[in-house]
Amino acid sequence: MKKMEDIPDRKLLLFKSCMVSQEYPGIEKATKYLFDRLGIDYFVSEEQSCCTGIGHYVDLYGQLTTTAIAARNFAVARKCGYPNIACMCSTCYAINKEACELLNGNEEVRAQVNSVFREKGLEDLVYAKGDLDERTNIFHVLEVIFSKKELLTEMTEVDFSGLKAAAHHACHYYKFRPEDMIGNPENPRLIDGVAGACGADMLRWYEDRSLTCGMGFAQLHIHKDTSLKVTQTKLESLRKAGVELLLHMCPNCHIQYDRCQPVIEKEFGSEYDFVHMNIAQFAALALGADPYKVCGLQTHSVPLENFLEKYGII
Amino acid sequence: MTLIQIDEYDTPAGKSLAETIKASIRTPDSLGLDRCIQCGACTASCPAARFTAYNPRLLVKRVLENDRGVLEDETLWNCFYCYTCQLRCPRNNSPAKLVQVLRQLALNEGIGLENMEHFLGLGEFFAAHGISQVPEHYLGKMAEALGSSWVEFKRDLPAIRAELGLGSLDIRDERKEIRSILEGTGHFERAESLRARLKESGASEGIEENKFLNAIPGKNKSEDINLEKNGRYSGPEALIV
Ligand code: SF4
Ligand code: SF4
Repeated sequence: MKKMEDIPDRKLLLFKSCMVSQEYPGIEKATKYLFDRLGIDYFVSEEQSCCTGIGHYVDLYGQLTTTAIAARNFAVARKCGYPNIACMCSTCYAINKEACELLNGNEEVRAQVNSVFREKGLEDLVYAKGDLDERTNIFHVLEVIFSKKELLTEMTEVDFSGLKAAAHHACHYYKFRPEDMIGNPENPRLIDGVAGACGADMLRWYEDRSLTCGMGFAQLHIHKDTSLKVTQTKLESLRKAGVELLLHMCPNCHIQYDRCQPVIEKEFGSEYDFVHMNIAQFAALALGADPYKVCGLQTHSVPLENFLEKYGII
Repeated sequence: MTLIQIDEYDTPAGKSLAETIKASIRTPDSLGLDRCIQCGACTASCPAARFTAYNPRLLVKRVLENDRGVLEDETLWNCFYCYTCQLRCPRNNSPAKLVQVLRQLALNEGIGLENMEHFLGLGEFFAAHGISQVPEHYLGKMAEALGSSWVEFKRDLPAIRAELGLGSLDIRDERKEIRSILEGTGHFERAESLRARLKESGASEGIEENKFLNAIPGKNKSEDINLEKNGRYSGPEALIV
């Protein structure tokens, strides 16, 4: 298991996410805001591409394609001198970890990926064993924020006392590589740790806490009814628990909860009065960041204005 | 130029389903497929098993019996890839990983092609922009379901990104590295063959090929996706409601 001391705060490549960029860009801005306030040394590269996650998990890209794209992104990280990859999306995290492990541990795959680079005149992308380490160079942004939670408590400006919030941790963070996370995979508490440090009252457990968000990559498209049913089940268990806010750590879950909540209300005839946020947006808000110009909350489908008014933010 | 067959890596030929799965680069050497004790921990914690007829424990059993009928079993396509089974399995097996290899095997045999229909254009978009987009039919559905506020948001995305101080959506890729990698690792051939067989099989719902490519403004100019001249994103066609 990873320890908090193992989380770097220098030379972090903030790994952009397609779904963050296109659906909730405030997650990226809020992350940068937090990193700046917390004194974390990071860089964002224009050259870094999509990790292939969406295409990979709808069974489109082969593992070799995915691994070669990851190797290119590792070269980007290496070349800019920021070799510690910090992902905002749990699927980027899982894809990069797995590809890195494959590149380090499977000689045939590494040779094949490198021969593609050479044939295409991209020698500078060639991956040498050990260029990155899947355990000590690839992280989730939440781990970085979590490792600074004492600082967050000191810096919190907004009074969130009495706020009843719950966490949804991302499957591709804690279920995919349980040996590689901070804490207990049967009861992940990173989001709780960060939100708690900012003054929220975190629900210890709720009925379907470990159930997937329901997106399931292709599932949302090929079996939409099942996908929404899973999400509705989750929302119902949150309603019963009486939460005001659900916090998550992955743009895919975020889309599934925030974009689909109004759809589910219509299709299932239910009503939910809680709102959604990424943990970085919430921590930035706590530190006094602007809800729109930093956290980008105007991009959400479930309006947050009542929530923001209640806590004196607007 | 050596042509890479995706099959050689994801679904290498083997004497049995289990041999192919174990030899696939999608599964680690430590995979405990042969160690499965049929305890059912996977099924007990599987969301697909809870909400559909899919059963990962049974799937593992059938694979170990080399029952190739699993490839035709439609429930194979119900897995969420949430890895709950992998977390809970006491033998380091991973039904999630088995399904990934089995779906590739099924596609090789022309089974389940219709499930790929909405996604076949992702690679072209990736090559042109360096990012992934949710399939266009979904954007259309979201526009329908969420109405004007979401459509507005999509139109205002470039302005919002500018306000947040975020750069271009497209990556900088002067050497067309993404296209080269997709080409070199056999992606386009694979996508083409799936598309051709889908058409042949008549299973297609009639979604126009590359429809979602056509929906991207300035698709040939890699720097053009986020900001049109007037500062507004013209948006995918399906969003004009
Ligand atoms: S949890 Fe593991 S050992 Fe148990 S039935 Fe499922 S695959 Fe087999
Ligand atoms: S990954 Fe698939 S088989 Fe495993 S628990 Fe999730 S839905 Fe079930």
